[in-house]
Amino acid sequence: MIRVDGLARAFHGVAAVRDVSFTVGAGEIHGLCGHNGAGKSTVVKMLSGQLAPDAGRILIDDTPVELRSRQAAQRAGVALVDQELSVVPALTVLENLLLGDIDAPLVNRRRAALARCRRVLDDMGLSRIDPGQPLSALSIGDRQLVEIAKALSQRARLVILDEPTATLTDVESSLVFAAIRRAVAATGCSVIFVSHRLAEVLELCDSVTVLRDGRTVATTPAAELTVDTLIVQMLGEPPRRLAADGKPDRDLAHALRISRLRVPGRLRDLTLTANAGRIYALAGQLGSGASDVLRAVAGLHPTAAGTVELHGRPVPVRDPVAAVRRGVAFLSNDRKSEGLFLDKSLAWNLTATRLPHLVRAGVLRPRREHAAARALAELIGLPAARLGDAVAELSGGNQQKAFVGRCLGRDDVFALLMDEPTRGVDIGGRAAIHHLLRRAADAGLVVMFASTELDELLELGDVIVTMRGGRLVNRYEGDVDGALLMRDMTQRLE
Amino acid sequence: MTAVPVRPSASVVSLALPLIALVALVGLAVTTHRFLSLDNARAILASTAFVGITAVGATLVMIAGSGVSLATSQTATVAGMFFLATQQYGLVTAVPVALVTGVALTGLQGAVIGYWHANPIVLTIAAGFAIGGTTTWFSGGTPVYPEVVAYEVLNSTPLGLPVAVYVLLGVTVLAQFTLRGTTPGRQLYLIGSNRAAARAAGLPVGRVTVIAWAFFGACIALTGVFLASFNTSATATLGGTLTLDAIAAVLVGGTAISGGRGSAVRTLAGAVLIAVISDVLLLRGFSTGIQILVKGILVLAVVVIVHLHATRSHR
Repeated sequence: MIRVDGLARAFHGVAAVRDVSFTVGAGEIHGLCGHNGAGKSTVVKMLSGQLAPDAGRILIDDTPVELRSRQAAQRAGVALVDQELSVVPALTVLENLLLGDIDAPLVNRRRAALARCRRVLDDMGLSRIDPGQPLSALSIGDRQLVEIAKALSQRARLVILDEPTATLTDVESSLVFAAIRRAVAATGCSVIFVSHRLAEVLELCDSVTVLRDGRTVATTPAAELTVDTLIVQMLGEPPRRLAADGKPDRDLAHALRISRLRVPGRLRDLTLTANAGRIYALAGQLGSGASDVLRAVAGLHPTAAGTVELHGRPVPVRDPVAAVRRGVAFLSNDRKSEGLFLDKSLAWNLTATRLPHLVRAGVLRPRREHAAARALAELIGLPAARLGDAVAELSGGNQQKAFVGRCLGRDDVFALLMDEPTRGVDIGGRAAIHHLLRRAADAGLVVMFASTELDELLELGDVIVTMRGGRLVNRYEGDVDGALLMRDMTQRLE
Repeated sequence: MTAVPVRPSASVVSLALPLIALVALVGLAVTTHRFLSLDNARAILASTAFVGITAVGATLVMIAGSGVSLATSQTATVAGMFFLATQQYGLVTAVPVALVTGVALTGLQGAVIGYWHANPIVLTIAAGFAIGGTTTWFSGGTPVYPEVVAYEVLNSTPLGLPVAVYVLLGVTVLAQFTLRGTTPGRQLYLIGSNRAAARAAGLPVGRVTVIAWAFFGACIALTGVFLASFNTSATATLGGTLTLDAIAAVLVGGTAISGGRGSAVRTLAGAVLIAVISDVLLLRGFSTGIQILVKGILVLAVVVIVHLHATRSHR
């Protein structure tokens, strides 16, 4: 039995988790739900030894434990399976199960290990998986099951599944669920299931704890819950918004037309038209395909298919250089590894995508470049004195402004696509970035962004498109109820 | 105007240490008999030139983060052979033939790396074998001698310096200008700094990579031309240890092997530094073995310093 009692944790003075308590019984599958920022992942990190709590206790079988590292957590019987699969595709199933096993004998006793591996897989009803198979031969769902099997083979008392089904299809998820149930029945271990897919949570779990603003709202038996009551628990008073000023400027010639866009395994078949001058919000959780729409239009999905037209001109998918040439500017949700040139100056970053406009006969005009960088710095509200600084030295919010600024003030950008525009940005920076996007739309750009945050979706989106499982669910204009969006984003599609 | 500010902790390591080393080297050099003479200075420049030309080209490729070529010697050899084999048509034909050979062979590798994301190490090893094999086949394993000699002018020493030194200076100026003053040059730095970001921003990663490798190929071909002229014949081993010598010069110049930083002028300085150290050791009567050993230690020291600089200033 695992008990969490009054856990709290702050980052740089900002409380992420204030007061979280719940109990997971032996053999129980326990759901952990909450909207973004509710504190789920911080709780998971504390349970798995990656973060030390500021206050509160974790008790395993009524004994308080201090989990100082993932290894310590593993020794105490807590195993974490998260979206980042930690299994190695090149190794076999058996080798993966032995990997990182602190009990593994120094000399590999192969037959004993094989027998144990077989038993663990059979416990989960996975007789179809051969321990000698290389992991790369398995589907993503099966790989996740192997990861769970790995946790079980290391005699875990508590297995934490952090969004294990986010990238799986419904069929794959149901296989994963069946295996989890069998494993729990066979080993008597406890499971914490963290997911945005509320219908799945209700289907799999015995009881559900909901967090909001870093506190426990309630722990309720799953049988007494519906998706709607769960959403009410998660959101409290659900955010809504009334119709915006409403100037449905139907400038049909100027639009981004996406039709039948497909990305194998991510996006089923999406058709969407976004008119210039309005902000389109794609609402979807991880794995919903919302960010894949943007990436595919930007040419960054090598397997994408479908037609995209911007202002009547075709935009070839799968070719990022051509997409830029047609006026598509894309901002990745991963600012550090796929966005900025961190060791380069702010000026270089701001001008990186507009060099052809700052040259004469291929030769850079330093004065023109400097003037352009200055003007952009002013536009995005950064002091010109920082133009020479490496962007790595800027705060997260200012980095994001620099990232956005790169696409602004250009007459050859017609569509601005942003994946998670304010990830890792403080409140002030967030308002500034929203303002920049609004100005871009007012200037006649097609603006489309993907987000998982209800507040952001409601605040910024003139048109909100909900997505789930690689498909478009609904399209909202005018009055929008946050609870409805949540429902679309988390429900299983029939 | 866009110099990246360096934090004190990083600059202590990256500036003070080389400075101390430089002072020690100067002290050692001026106390070496016959070091401070015009002839010796000429000798240093002359020995810098061959490797230097190739190293300056390699700088562009390394800044783009697409690594190094392990096919350099072989490419120089084949360019040198073609150069000698076309002597009867005059330099006006022979030099372009060599250049086209170098640009085509190396540019093609650049295209495979830039457009199809091949691993440069693997690709250039394969290309090196293929080119080396073709060279041996072409020459039948015997040295290639020119039918007529047109290259003599390349061995002349106008104003007391070999032609190769002037070419080295020209190539350095051209490379430095390309890197600092043109769009492809800036894009090379950006691609080397963050390849995924460059791709997502729609920068022409493939095209710019090809430009860098083609320039590199032209530089290799020039080195091949001078090597062939200097040796008056070309065997399959004409290129010698050019591959690693060029990489060493680029690294000693402080260009990061992971890309994003460096310059042609610094590579020139690296090549000269290696030549000066070799020269001092030679004048002091140390064996070739010691010279190579010291070169290795120098490369290692600079790489460590550059690495420390990179990791400290970006944390």
